[in-house]
Parts: sequence; C-alpha cells; structure tokens
Amino acid sequence: MSYRQASYDEPLIRDMESGTTYELPGETGDAQSAIPEELRRDELRLPGVAEYDVVRHFTRLSQMNYGVDLGFYPLGSCTMKFNPKYADAISSFESFRDSHPLSDQSLVQGNLRIMYELQEYLREISDMDAVSLQPLAGAHGEFTGILIVRKYFEKSGELDRRTEIIVPDSAHGTNPASAAMAGFDVREVPSGDDGTVDVEALRKLVTEKTAAFMITNPNTLGIFEHNIGEIASIFHEKGALLYYDGANFNAILGHTSPGLMGFDIVHFNLHKTFATPHGGGGPGSGPIAVKERLKEFLPVPLVEKSSTGYAFNYDLKSSVGKVSSFYGAFGVLLRAWAYITKNGSDGLMKNSLTAVLNTNYIRARLSGHYSIPFKKEKMHELVLSSSNTGRKALDIAKYILDSGMHPPTVYFPLIVRESMMIEPTETVSKHDLDTYCDLLISGARAGQPELEKHPVSTPVSRIDEVRAARDLKLNWRG
Amino acid sequence: MPSESDVSEMLKEIGLDTVDSLYSGIPGKLRKQQLDLDHHISEYELIKRAESIAGENRWNNYINFLGCGSYDRIVPASVDHIISRSEFITSYTPYQPEVSQGMLQSLFEYQSTICDLTEMDVTNSSMYDGVTGIAEAVRMAHRVNGKSKVLVPETLYDSRLAVIESYMEGLPSKIEKYRINRETGYIDLEDLASRVDNNTSCILVENPNGMGVLDPNVTKVQEIKKGALMISFTDPISLGAVKPPGSYGVDISIMEGQSLGIHQNFGGPFLGIMSFRKEYVRKSPGRIIGQTQDHNGKRAFVMTLQTREQHIRREKATSNICSNQALMALASLSYLSIIGSGGLRKLALVTINNSIKLKKALSAVSTKAVPVSGTLFSDVPVHVRKPNDLADSLRKNMIQGGVPLSLLSRELSGEFPDTFFFSVTEKTGQSDIDKFAKAIEVVL
Repeated sequence: MSYRQASYDEPLIRDMESGTTYELPGETGDAQSAIPEELRRDELRLPGVAEYDVVRHFTRLSQMNYGVDLGFYPLGSCTMKFNPKYADAISSFESFRDSHPLSDQSLVQGNLRIMYELQEYLREISDMDAVSLQPLAGAHGEFTGILIVRKYFEKSGELDRRTEIIVPDSAHGTNPASAAMAGFDVREVPSGDDGTVDVEALRKLVTEKTAAFMITNPNTLGIFEHNIGEIASIFHEKGALLYYDGANFNAILGHTSPGLMGFDIVHFNLHKTFATPHGGGGPGSGPIAVKERLKEFLPVPLVEKSSTGYAFNYDLKSSVGKVSSFYGAFGVLLRAWAYITKNGSDGLMKNSLTAVLNTNYIRARLSGHYSIPFKKEKMHELVLSSSNTGRKALDIAKYILDSGMHPPTVYFPLIVRESMMIEPTETVSKHDLDTYCDLLISGARAGQPELEKHPVSTPVSRIDEVRAARDLKLNWRG
Repeated sequence: MPSESDVSEMLKEIGLDTVDSLYSGIPGKLRKQQLDLDHHISEYELIKRAESIAGENRWNNYINFLGCGSYDRIVPASVDHIISRSEFITSYTPYQPEVSQGMLQSLFEYQSTICDLTEMDVTNSSMYDGVTGIAEAVRMAHRVNGKSKVLVPETLYDSRLAVIESYMEGLPSKIEKYRINRETGYIDLEDLASRVDNNTSCILVENPNGMGVLDPNVTKVQEIKKGALMISFTDPISLGAVKPPGSYGVDISIMEGQSLGIHQNFGGPFLGIMSFRKEYVRKSPGRIIGQTQDHNGKRAFVMTLQTREQHIRREKATSNICSNQALMALASLSYLSIIGSGGLRKLALVTINNSIKLKKALSAVSTKAVPVSGTLFSDVPVHVRKPNDLADSLRKNMIQGGVPLSLLSRELSGEFPDTFFFSVTEKTGQSDIDKFAKAIEVVL
C-alpha cells in the first residue's frame, strides 16, 4: 500500500496571528453611542488572520480529510455516491443562491418551479400523493412524519390510546429517537432467521395501542422485506399507520416504491439517494411524502401550480404547522432536482440496478472469507461479520484506512456481532470493487499484532476516544 | 459504473444470468410497472434548462430591503472557495476520525470560536437552523429541570413559535407569551417577572427582538428567572459590538448563523448555532467534537459524548439529530476567521448606523413612522398610513421589502397596526436609502 494522507502539524487558527486583511465597506457613524450602555461590548477575541493564511489553513486541513472525490467510500447506510458537479454548478447560480425567502412570489417563480417539479418527481418515484420539502435532514423528516401520525390520531380522537410506535431491532437509531421525541413509547420487533421482520412476533406486538410502524425496506441488513404487503395489512387492519424510512431508497428507485408496498408516510434522504453532498455531516435534506388522506397534515407551505404560475399554499386544514425556518434546504433541493432531471427514468433505474449488482458482487467475492448472516440475496448493501475471522471489525476498518479507501460502517446494525456494513452504490468501477474485496480478504488474514498497528498512513494514529469522553476538552479554552 | 463486459463477469461470479434477477426478491405485485419521468439528458441540456428556470426569477433587478430572519450580507469569495473543497464537501460525518482530522479540527475551531463570540462554555457542532435550535433548547431545558412553562416574547415570529410548538408536541410543556414595552420595544420586566413561577422551565429572550430592537433589558432577566433556564436568540453579527449572551446569565445561547458567510439560498441551508453552560453538556443535543490524543500522544480530534446520541441511545437519546450542518459551520468559521474581531465589530456598527440612517430618512417625512424608540439592528419597523398603496409604490421603484408585521406576528400587529419591515445590512448604500425614502414618502 503506497497511500499517504497529507500530514501537517496544523496549528489552531487562534494561534495564527498574521493580522486581518479583509476589508469591509460602510460607515459606522455614531452607532457606538446608539447602543444602550448596558449592552456595549468591551472585548472580542476572534482569530486575527490574513485572508491568505485562512485559505491556506483550511486547504491544509482539507487535505487531511477523506471524501468521495478521493476514492471509494462504501459506508453502509450512508449512500456515499459520487456528487455530480453539474448539481454544484447549478446551485451556485446567483439567481438561486442569493434569493431571499420572503421575496414576493412573483419574483421567485424560478425557485418555486424547481420546488414544484421536485415535489412531482418525488411523488412519482414514491407513488405517494403529496410532498413537503421542508424537513432539513432524514431524522427531521422522520420527526415530521411522526408528528403527522400524532395529528392524525389527535383528529380521530384516538391519540390517548395510540401511544406506541414499533420499530425493528435492525432499525436506524433515528427511528426510535424520532418516535420518542414526538412523545411515543417505542416497542422493538425482533428480526427472524432470514433477517427480515419476524411477522408472528410482530402480530403479537400490534394492538389497539399501536400508532405506527417505522421501517426501511430493504432493511439495514440490505434484505428486502418480502412480507411487507402482509405487514402493511396487519397494521392497517388495526387502524395504525406505516412509516417508510427512505434511507435505503437507492436500492429500489424505479423498481418498486413505498406507495406500492402500502406505506402511508415516507421520508427521502436527498443527500443519499439523490447524490447531494454530505458536507462532512450536513446539510442534508429530508422531504416527506404522504398518501392523499394525510395531505391535510403536511407542514406548510406546499408549492402549487396554477394558470397564473407557481404559488405557496398555506391553507392545509390540519397541518402540523412548521418544522423549520422557511421551505427546506433549497440549495440541496436544487441539486436533487438537477440529479433527477439529468438522470431521467432510465438513468435512475439503472443506477439502482447497478448499486444492487455491485453489492451482490461484493457478497459473492467475500463469501467464504467472512460470515454473511441471513439471506443470500442482498439489495443495495450487505452486512458481514468478522467473527469467523477472529479479527475485530474495528481492526479491519483501521487496516483499510491505509489503502486510500474508506472502511465500511462498523458495529451497525447492532443485531450482528462485529458487523461491517458495506454500501458500494453505483458509482464505482469493478476494478475498485475487486481491490476493495482483496483488501478485506487480506485484512481478515492479517496477524492480529500487524492489524493493531493500523492506520499508519494518516496524520494521526489510532485515537484515544475514551480519553476524549473522560477528560472533556470541547474548545480551545480547555 | 461497470462496463458491459464487467457486468457479465460480475453476474457470473454472483451466479445469475441477468441483471433483472437481482430484483427477484421483490414480489411481482410490488414491482413498479413504469417510472413516469422523462429520459436522461446531457449535462449541457440540463444546464440550459436550469439557466432558463433561473431566468424566471426576477428579484435580481430590485434593491433589497428584505431581512426578518435572512440577511443579504457580504460573503467573501474565500468562504465559498473553502466550503467547495471537495475533501470537505464530499465527506461524511467523521466516523473514522483518523482520515477526518481536517473536518474534525475545523469543527473544533468552530466550537471554540463560537464560545469566544458568545462567551458561553460549550458549543455543539451545529443544528439545522436557528429556529430548530431554539426548539431543541426548549426541549433541553425541560430535560434539565423537568419544568413545563415556556415563556417567550410576544415579538417572537409566529413561524418560529410554530416550530417550537412542533418540537414540544411530545412534552407536557405549555407556551406563554410575555409583553414588550409599547414605546421602547424592550422586554416589559414587570410583566415577565409576574409570569415566572416555580414551574417555569425556560425564558426565551431575543436580541435584537422581533421588532428589530436591541434590548438592554435582556441583561436584567437573570435577576428574575428563578429556577428557569434563560435561552437567548441573538444575531451573531450584532455580537461584534453588543454584549454576548454569556455575560448576562444565559444558559443556552442560540443564533441563526446564515449571516456568517452563508448565502440566503431561498431560506436554506442555514446554520443553527447552539452553546450552553458546561454543566448541561450531557443533556445537550447534537454532535460534539472533543480534543484528545492518538496512541503516540499526538493531538487529535474526535466526535465525543456519543452516548447521548441516537445511534447508541436510540429512544433514550437527547435528540434524533444525525445529519447536521457541518459544512455551514465551516463556512461561518472561515467567515469569522477572515473578517476578524475588527471586521465583525465594523459590521455590527455599520448595521446599526444604516438602521439609524433609514430611520432618519423616514423621520424627515413623518416622525411617527418608526413605532418603537429603542435602537434598531437591521430590521426597521415602519408604520405606513396608506398600506394599500405600499406594494405598488415599492414595485414602481424596484424595491424589495416591507414584510408586514401581520405576517410575522399576527397578535402583535394588533398593537402595531399597518407596520412593515425594511431591513438593512452593510450592503445598503446611501443611494439605496434615498430611493427607499422616495418610494415610501407617498404612503407614510
């Protein structure tokens, strides 16, 4: 392995005093004396650094950061696909980027059209009836969706008894967290031997107290929940709702849909399925879609089209209200619009198919080397266990770091020991898939003392996370 | 993407004849018959289409006096450049810290810089936007003291109140509004004090508040808050010249970070900035970066206190936050580093000065045009005598502005009828103000 990440002993920006160089226009006049005395600030200590040094500082830091543009990044559940540059280009058009959210609607018809078209795209892709673009992340979409569940039962007078939300034991942590935030009790249903929901166990859990079921399909093991039709009936017969966590949408786009599976509420992760950049943790975007009978509960406003143009509609009878400042992460919505428009129906379907092909290829290449629990056929991601190799998932992950590729997600889902979750997406060559599989195989065969040395090609060696939590140092003041 | 010959090799390895059989696990009746979208287009065609749609926006020709939560401020080119570095923008949440030191150090510096700006103890590594930040702060206060009354100023925008209410759905808490003084626009301390009781969980103060007023009374709330937590919502630009929340007893400080080098983007992505006292750190939401060491004793950064978070604590987590606004946090850090203390101070003072100039331009026509006497920061409320003619006059003069108070705070607009906001920043020039004065003269 010849990979080396850049390694600088980069000082904190506070310690880089070279004197501010950036000039700002405007006159200050008598402003200082206009500030009420009790409010006047005496001291301010921001870094005082020349603009050129600021750029150098962050450029050096960027070189100590791994991103999709540097290589394969198959972090399971995160859909780290290539972020197309045309989407960045479009989102930086001044006419979009610098527009004000409270502009008169007649002056921002272009923005409204983008939002309307994206709503329509997402409706068609999900086979749902109405879309709100307002939630700002996947988890935020979940929370909004569960607020709709709440409002729906509040309206029907059942909220007092519908206190429970069920999630699979393989669910993303955000599902139970969002349900709890919205005031519901969380019940967990176990997975069966084939890695899908244990339908008989589920039947026993669903009672008149059940408000909803949150599930992703394919699930976090990368397995399609083939019983989803039956599961939907179980809930609908009891009057409960079905929530689709769209984190794994990249597996199925164009081939099936949450609408066809019987879901009532869906969220999308535009930063996953629709290739918008993750930005080192965000911004994301988590639009939601619902069936017709739930449309009246969506957050306001929605964008509608009429003969006179596009307009916001604030008039929804039982709206949950608002969940963020304005209309959603428009800069991210634009990128997703661009991705869908560019790829079209044929491109989108091919992307999903290729993601599934790549996953199953990895599965085929690694079987015999790692234990691959549950059903053979995987969708967009697979979960391995390193238990059979006698090696820890963490050690293998650190070993992979030295290759210039990114390790899988490790220790999730929680129901598989020493789990390694790999999601290749469609934007990877067979050559890189082979290299990656070879790496995983050699990692499993490496001696334990050898494994524990890794990583060595990164600016820091293994990090003491226990110390970080014990001796908290959360800013440069100490 | 694999080539055709690659595909057949891969299928062979998998043991399948066709790619279609990859979906054999999906029951036939669930297969989507058709994806009813247009076929793919070239990049060139896409850009053309996007340009044409962008051309349907017409705001560009107007002079801007819009604000009220989103501000047209200068974004240094270097800030856009830094957040466009592909190593930053195309990375994920730093789960593998050894290859993510760049983003982790940046976020640590962000947390530190915001602590210096606000004089608070701890800052997390970002929330979705300012408003969801307030809402999370309200939830956090409830976790800290278990109390349920939430006091907010009557100047709080309805849209913000709606977000807080959404976030309180699962809590037993109730919101109550306290008054502002009708002349100064300051907090009515007597009214606020009368509402604070043993069950008060938190008090939200705004500075500047929803009437645009810099409020000296925020410094006195600590004397009457009893067991309640004080949450502040301040404009980060104002902190260049205005006392920081940490100096007047604030427990949780929230700011909307859009002003700090982030384009308005029609309302998002923005940046929620959350800071708090260190004793509450384990009750706090969101990701936090900590400094530690690697196994050779070298300084290193890592996400820490993850046992509060959803991926570990699930339904017992302090919040459901997973994605946040890391890249926007980086934008604000770059921005603050580039403009420095002097720059931020200047921006704060220029904003106040331009607010004064706007007010003066109005007083020339009507001394009662601005209904509150307090010093204004950016958002200037204007009482208009002929509200029905306002939109026309603004359009004719190619001016964007005049957000009605009735749209922002319906109840308060009963007290301040026919009031519209015109907002200034460092970009507002004297000629803009002159044109504005001419446009508004006829309706004052």
